[in-house]
Amino acid sequence: MKAGRMDAQLVFLVGINAAIVVAAMALVGDRFMSLYNFQSMGTQVPELGLLALGVMLAMVSGNGGIDLSGIALANLSGVVAFLLAPGLFDASDAPVAFFAMFSVIALLTGVLGGALNGALIGFAGMTPIIATLGTQLLFTGIAVGLTGGSALQLGYVPVIDDFGNMPWMGVPRTFAIFVIIALALAAMLRFSRFGIHLFLMGSNPKAARFAGIRVGAMLFRTYLLAGVLASVAGIIIAARTSSIKWDYGSSYVLVAILIAVMAGVRPEGGYGRVVCVVLSAIALQILSSLFNFMQISNFFRDCAWGLLLLLFLANARLDWGHYTSAVLRRHPATTG
Amino acid sequence: MTFRKPMLSALATSVAVLGLAGAAQAQDKEIVTVVKVTGENWFTRMEEGVNAYNEETDGIAARQVGPGRADAAQQAAIVQDLIAQGVDALAIVPMDPSTLEGVLRRAQGRGITVITHEADNMQNTQLDLEAFDNAEFGAHFAEDIAECMGESGKWTSFVGSLGSLTHVQWADGGEEYMSQFPDMELVSPKNESFNDANRAYELAKEILRSHPDIKGFQGGSAIDVIGIGRAVEEAGLEDETCVYGLGLPKDSSAYLESGAVDGIAFWDPKDAGYVMNILAHKVLNGEEIATGDDLGVPGYTNVTVSDGPGDGKIVRGQAWVDVTKDNWSDFPF
Repeated sequence: MKAGRMDAQLVFLVGINAAIVVAAMALVGDRFMSLYNFQSMGTQVPELGLLALGVMLAMVSGNGGIDLSGIALANLSGVVAFLLAPGLFDASDAPVAFFAMFSVIALLTGVLGGALNGALIGFAGMTPIIATLGTQLLFTGIAVGLTGGSALQLGYVPVIDDFGNMPWMGVPRTFAIFVIIALALAAMLRFSRFGIHLFLMGSNPKAARFAGIRVGAMLFRTYLLAGVLASVAGIIIAARTSSIKWDYGSSYVLVAILIAVMAGVRPEGGYGRVVCVVLSAIALQILSSLFNFMQISNFFRDCAWGLLLLLFLANARLDWGHYTSAVLRRHPATTG
Repeated sequence: MTFRKPMLSALATSVAVLGLAGAAQAQDKEIVTVVKVTGENWFTRMEEGVNAYNEETDGIAARQVGPGRADAAQQAAIVQDLIAQGVDALAIVPMDPSTLEGVLRRAQGRGITVITHEADNMQNTQLDLEAFDNAEFGAHFAEDIAECMGESGKWTSFVGSLGSLTHVQWADGGEEYMSQFPDMELVSPKNESFNDANRAYELAKEILRSHPDIKGFQGGSAIDVIGIGRAVEEAGLEDETCVYGLGLPKDSSAYLESGAVDGIAFWDPKDAGYVMNILAHKVLNGEEIATGDDLGVPGYTNVTVSDGPGDGKIVRGQAWVDVTKDNWSDFPF
C-alpha cells in the first residue's frame, strides 16, 4: 500500500473484528472476554492462518492460482517427521533436540511437497486447482500408507506440549510464531524482488513474461513457499494435539480459502495483503468461538462459512462505486 | 467506509438474532457431552439419554454437542471453546483419543471434570466408561452359540479386520469360552469381512462349501451377521445353523425374522450417554466409584472399576442388549 492512503479492506476487517467482539460482549459477556478465552482462541488461529497465507500466495500469483493440498501436506509433514525424528534423538532424553529435529524434518517435507506443486504448475504448466487436488490426494495417500490409517501418538513431551498449548508471558507461543512468520512474509512481499515480481506476474502474466520475469520459476518458488507454510502448520498441529493423524483438519481446505477471500485477496491474482489475511483469520476464529459459546449448531457454522464465502466473492466482483459518491470511491491498489 | 456499512450492520444483526437462543442460562452445574459427529443415528440415540438426564435431574444442565463433520480438528475446537467457557464437566466420545490429550490436560488444570467413553487408552480423563469388557462380550455370544448347538459341532468366527482390536478381543473371548466344551471344533477362525456385508456373504458361502456340517457363526463387525444371514438363507440352513454377533436391530431384522440370524447384541448409546452424565455428576459431587456400584441403569448395575493408563479409572458395565426376532421392533434403529 502506498503511504498515506487508507486501504478499504483493512478498515473493513478491523471493523468486522471490532463488531464481532462487541457482539460477543453484548451476547455472552464476561465469560467470553476472559484472558483464558483469548489465549484459547489464539492457539486455534495459527494452523488455519498459515494455510490461508499459503492460499493467498497461490492466489496472488495469478493463473487461477490456488493451493488445495495445504492441510494434506501439513499432516504428511507431521507423519514423516514423526517416523524419522525418533531415530536421531530420543524424545524423553533430549526433548529439545527431538523437537528441533522433528521441526527440521517436517519443514524439509514441506519444501519437497511444495516443490512438487511448484514443478507441476510452474514447469509442467498444469492448472493449479487440478495439480493441487492431485497432490492433495497423493499426500493424503502417502500419509495413510505410512501410518496404516491410525493416529500416531507423540505422548506427553513437556517441551512440545508447552509449545503447543501453554502461553508465554500471556501470549500463546504458536500465535507469536504465526505473527512473526506473517511479518516476515509481509516484508518479503513488499521489499524483495520476488515479492514485487509476484504481484506484477499476478496482475498480468503476459506482460510479466515479456518484461523478462521468469514466470515458471516464480510459480515454482511461490508454491514451494506455500508448502513450507503448510509444514509449519503441521508442526503446530502436532504440538497442539500431541499426535499426528492423516485426516486431521479435513474441513480446513474450505475455511482457508474463505479466510483468504474474506481478506480481499483477489482470486484472479495480483492483489492480497498479509495483514488482512491475519485479521480475517482472527475474525473467523472469534466468530467461530462465539458460535460455540452461544450453543449454535455446528451445521449452521458450515452453512455460515459457505454463505460468507459467496458474499465476499460477490463483494469482490461488484463495483460498489456505482452506489457511492465519487469522493468515497477507492479502489484497491495493485501492490501488497 | 460507508459503502461497507450495510454489510457490517447485516452481520451484526444476524449475530444478534442468533444469539437470543442461547442467551440466558441458569446457575445449574453444566455437563456437556461432546460426540464424534452430530446427526448420525448412533449419536442421535445418545442425545436421548443426555436429554433424559437433563430433564430428570435437578441442579444439572446437561446437553450434547458435536461437530457437523467427523473431523478431529473440529471436535478439538469445540472442546477448547467449552473449556474457555468454563463448563463444569465434559463427557466426551473422542473421535481420536490421542488428539484430545493436550486439550483435556488443560481442562483438568482448570478444574473441569473429564469423563470419556470408548477411550480406554486415554490418559487425561478421570473416568472412562466402557459398556462392557470385550472378552466377556465375546464369551456372551459363544454362550448363546454353544447352547443353540447343543455344545457340539463346528463353528467359526468373523472380525471386521484383524486390526480392529475390539473385534479380535470378541473372537478371542468366544474361543476362550468354547474351550470348556470338548466337542466344539473351531474351524478357520477370524474371517476378515472388512466391514463389508458382501465380503462377509462371500466368506460365509466359502465356509459352507468347505464345511457343509458347520453349525455355528460368531459375527464381529455389525454387518457380519447380515452377510452370514444371507448365505445361510440361500443355503436353506436357517434351522440347522446358529448365528450370533454384533448387529443393529433394524438392519438385521429381515434375517432375524427368517431365522437365518438367531440373535444379535449391541450396546445402547442412549444408556451410555445417560451413564456418562451420572458419572460426571458423581465426580462433581466428590463421590467415588467402586467395583460393584449400582448406577441404576440396566447393564450398569454392577460395574467393574480398574485403573486406566493415566491417573484416571475405567468403569465397565455388562451393558449389552440382546435382540431376537421377538424384540427387534422395540428399537428405533
